Amino acid sequence: MSDTTRVFVYALYTALATGLGALPFLFVRDLSRRVVAASNAIAAGLMLGASLGLVAEGAQRSGWATFVGVNVGIGFIVLTQKLIGEHEPEIGQFRGAGARRMLLMVVVMTVHSFAEGAAVGVSFGGGMALATAITVAIAVHNVPEGLAISAVLRPQGVSLLACAGWSVFSSLPQPLMAVPAYLFVEHFAGALPYGLGFAAGAMIFMVLVELLPEAYEQERGRRVALLTGLTLAGMLLFQQYV
Amino acid sequence: MSVDTVVLLALLAVIPAGIGAFLGVDRLGAARRGGDRAGTAEHVLAWANASAAGLMLGIAYAVLMAGTALLPLGGTLGAAVGVGLIHVLGARTRSALAQRAVMASALHSAAEGIAIGAAAALAPAFGLFLVLTFALHNVSEGAVLGSALSARGRGPWSVAWAAMIARTGQPALAAVTLLVIRGAPALQPWALGVSAGALVYLVLAELLPGSYRFTGRTSIAVVVSVAAGIVALLGGRSR
Repeated sequence: MSDTTRVFVYALYTALATGLGALPFLFVRDLSRRVVAASNAIAAGLMLGASLGLVAEGAQRSGWATFVGVNVGIGFIVLTQKLIGEHEPEIGQFRGAGARRMLLMVVVMTVHSFAEGAAVGVSFGGGMALATAITVAIAVHNVPEGLAISAVLRPQGVSLLACAGWSVFSSLPQPLMAVPAYLFVEHFAGALPYGLGFAAGAMIFMVLVELLPEAYEQERGRRVALLTGLTLAGMLLFQQYV
Repeated sequence: MSVDTVVLLALLAVIPAGIGAFLGVDRLGAARRGGDRAGTAEHVLAWANASAAGLMLGIAYAVLMAGTALLPLGGTLGAAVGVGLIHVLGARTRSALAQRAVMASALHSAAEGIAIGAAAALAPAFGLFLVLTFALHNVSEGAVLGSALSARGRGPWSVAWAAMIARTGQPALAAVTLLVIRGAPALQPWALGVSAGALVYLVLAELLPGSYRFTGRTSIAVVVSVAAGIVALLGGRSR
């Protein structure tokens, strides 16, 4: 398997993992808000852990370049959010507030999986150990993300298969983004710390602007802190030993 | 860095908490009582909280990396211990709102004191960097505490004293940590890890929820992430 193919396949796995998030809805029609909040908190810990791994890798090459990348990543998500915020959605037979929430959910998830795809791609530039750690982190964190999407779609009457489908769809930018990101840092070695920083900055910002506020809306700060903090520490531990 | 120097510096870093608290009561509290329709005071508080959160996260990163560089298991497992420890300690402090604010402030300064001590034991410049960053963040923390206490009708001077006293855990624990690490250097990575975990927990449990309540998510996320980035970059260089 060529390196490029491997990057694509790894990032495809992470995308497919998102579909697993629809599974609990085989058994239940509606998830309690606290369960959704808890999975948001866990996803936040996983993403923060993955981001720290990327930043640490970037900082070993160039602290300043990583720092610049982080800030560009933050700016990228801020801009995308501004662009999305202005559109009024209408998808198929779904309209109104429910449709708006659904579309926003799918669009937001899709946009931020660009950042995750870039993370998988650039992490291959940092060696196989880093790549494996980041891929597993992204794949695992995609499951609660699929859960969050399905939790919005399912009560609106969307079929289970379609829930899984939209979940995977939201992560498709990962394989599509991973390959060019990988090729870019492979050919311009100097770009690697910028790329690592960019992916980390975008993911950290997503955690701060989406996952944590969502979690705080349904759950007390102390519980969120315990879940996110322990997941983060577990993720760091995992990265040390891959 | 000698223990005397660390204690002296950390004691000086307590003063900004008093200044912040004074301003918190005098300005923000007054603005609230005077019918602050635009909600300016709330926004200022939210951003103060967010910048303090960013500074703490940046330091947690720098401290954690220092810990894992010494001993990977100590840094990461220590962080998990720090998260759990602060969670359990925090659960014991159920009391009146004002008392809780002071207790929370005391817990913060304990976590920060351990970080300062462990960092100073590693490299004087790293310890100094932490003291300076925490001094800056004490202004924001003091302002938040001050505005919480001013709702109880206390005057600015008495609140400023309370804020500074609640922070004295910082120099005390810095000295204790430094002495313990001098005696048992094997504890160094663990102390760094525990303080990083505790800092992250405090940011997630208290500072961030407080920030999101009062103003837009995007501005909070920008302030937190940019502040954390700057501190992480400079902290890594000072080590």
